[in-house]
Amino acid sequence: MTEAMIRKKPGMASVKDMPLLQDGPPPGGFAPVRYARRIPNTGPSAMAIFLAAFGAFSWGMYQVGQGNKVRRALKEEKYAARRAILPVLQAEEDERFVKEWKKYLEYEAEVMKDVPGWKVGENVYHSGRWVPPASGELRPEVW
Amino acid sequence: MSSHVGPSGEPVPTSSVLMASSKHIGSRCHSENVAFLKCKKKDPNPEKCLDNGREVTRCVLGLLKDIHQKCTKQMDDYVGCMYYYTNEFDMCRKEQEAFEKACPLE
Repeated sequence: MTEAMIRKKPGMASVKDMPLLQDGPPPGGFAPVRYARRIPNTGPSAMAIFLAAFGAFSWGMYQVGQGNKVRRALKEEKYAARRAILPVLQAEEDERFVKEWKKYLEYEAEVMKDVPGWKVGENVYHSGRWVPPASGELRPEVW
Repeated sequence: MSSHVGPSGEPVPTSSVLMASSKHIGSRCHSENVAFLKCKKKDPNPEKCLDNGREVTRCVLGLLKDIHQKCTKQMDDYVGCMYYYTNEFDMCRKEQEAFEKACPLE
């Protein structure tokens, strides 16, 4: 049926006089709703927060320093070990080198024995210091 | 490590053997090492420092043999650990302590 037939009021002249059908608040109204901010001003102060952060930072840096001390000690141990065994290794290499060098000088003397101007079996730089041979010939399996 | 010991029963100076006994070498062969280094500093020519080098080698190899005879098991364990961990001292602390207790540094 039409709305007019359902919500009829006796003595109604037109549809505009129909009683209202609205969705409204309950009688007495709704309960009040708080929408105001309530941010409390409690907790640590700015200085307290700053000191806590600074304290955490300094404790952390102190731990970093301690850790670095430990790591440096470990590195020192390794370097001391290397320093201790360096002479043995160098001595063994010297022996091997001298043997190879003598062989090389003999080879050079034999190869150049017919060359008139070739004075000695060894001719290197003239500074007087020892210079290791740079030709790469003495360790062909390495180079 | 199966064999850091050569055929005659002496330890072969491999890297793990040398690093394991480095503290002993540093203390007991100190004078030979220093003499060799001084000679090298004066003249780096290998032919000039062969005698010092022979002294150093003699000292170190004799020391290795000595330690190996005195504390065979501890040295073997320590050298094996060093070989396994490629000469990382920090990974072999237990074996190092046992080794240094059996063969004290001096």
